[in-house]
Amino acid sequence: MKHFILSFIALVFFVFESIFAQLFAGDAFGDDKIVVPHFMMIFVFFLTMYGSRKMGMLYGAILGLTYDVVYTEILGIYMFLLPFLAYLISKCMKILQNNILIAVLTALFFTAILEVVVFQMNIILSFADMGFGEYMERRLLPTILLNLVFIIISCYPLKRIIEKLDLQGETD
Amino acid sequence: MPQFFNKKLLLLLVSIIVLVALIGFSLREREELTWPEQFLKDTTGWVGNVFNKPVSGITGFVGDLKDLQHTYDENKKLKARLDEYVLLKTQVQDLKEENKDLRDNLKKEDDLRKYSPTQATVIGRNPDRWHEMLTINKGKRNGVEKNMAVITSNGLVGKVKSVTNFTASVQLLSSIDKANRVSAIVQGDDKAYGLIEGFDDKKNLLLMKRIPYDKKIKKNSLVITSGYGGIFPKGLLIGKVVDVKVDQYGLNQTAYIEPSTDFYDINNVMVVQREVDGEPKESVGEDEVK
Repeated sequence: MKHFILSFIALVFFVFESIFAQLFAGDAFGDDKIVVPHFMMIFVFFLTMYGSRKMGMLYGAILGLTYDVVYTEILGIYMFLLPFLAYLISKCMKILQNNILIAVLTALFFTAILEVVVFQMNIILSFADMGFGEYMERRLLPTILLNLVFIIISCYPLKRIIEKLDLQGETD
Repeated sequence: MPQFFNKKLLLLLVSIIVLVALIGFSLREREELTWPEQFLKDTTGWVGNVFNKPVSGITGFVGDLKDLQHTYDENKKLKARLDEYVLLKTQVQDLKEENKDLRDNLKKEDDLRKYSPTQATVIGRNPDRWHEMLTINKGKRNGVEKNMAVITSNGLVGKVKSVTNFTASVQLLSSIDKANRVSAIVQGDDKAYGLIEGFDDKKNLLLMKRIPYDKKIKKNSLVITSGYGGIFPKGLLIGKVVDVKVDQYGLNQTAYIEPSTDFYDINNVMVVQREVDGEPKESVGEDEVK
């Protein structure tokens, strides 16, 4: 049952990202800005913070692989990154105190890290030709803003749902 | 605890190796996707289809409302151009008939321009905006094959990158990929051949490279596909020239082309199958560029 609810939420976020990109791909946020929705990743981060590390990494790997297969067609990048970042988050949350503001900031910080690492990977694979300065201005900042808005909207409902499922019991 | 730490380090190393192997595997030019990939794509494609219907209904309604505001002005402008259109239509009809007669006289059946379209709806877009790709709701079952050209009513948008039973991924012309090239012609008194490769996403212009340096290219001339790539039909509109620059060695020119379609607002597309079979030779239009 737990897995059913979680996978349903994950699936909704997964599809919603693509629909969001389809609807707002154009100039909806200023002429040459590119905003990238990372809703699914944020779900994985919250799952790690309020659920358990194991679940976070498991969902991270499966969702990352699906994302790679369906959207980017370059296998491995998200599949590797999501569980890795989920692991780092769980380490961070042991040091930081567990209140919702800290959770929001941590999720945002890791979204930014994810975005930068993916950018570097694409530079290496020569699927991107942007300087870092240009990237910061045109992609990173708008993306962070969009995801901040999404985190703020979704953090409380996500926290409630995940805590209700009570995943702490099956921790590491 | 050192034992424990080592285990994790080992896991990290192994996963990095797997990562590199997987990337290498997927970068290769692949004829077909593996079956787990196809299965995942079909499943998510189905889900995307379910979600897409209500969403596109709502956005369609909002778009209609916006259109209503401009109806009066548009109507005025269109009426002014109607006479022009009638004249053009009779001319086209005349030319078509003449073309057909001449072809009959020559007994030449093949035509690079001929194609048969398959209608499709866009059900998703790659949210990670590095690889500009769309997912459409037609696949192998509907006769879509890898490398077919994809157009909208305004012109060429891209080609089919991979195909599963019920969905297909379309790589847009604007995506940055070395393998993403289209042989094209700049129309004018003096036809110039070149290759569309690359996209300036800051100015939203396509780059048409390898045009011989001595060709005079007028601004605003139209650019169409040449059909020499072996895959695309001839005569699909790509855009119009807005700027021409000589490349760094002075041997070639690069034209900046304003695409005729908006790559960010695509909802319905046509996948076109060329009727003349191209040979699987990949030596694109370069032979034509003298």
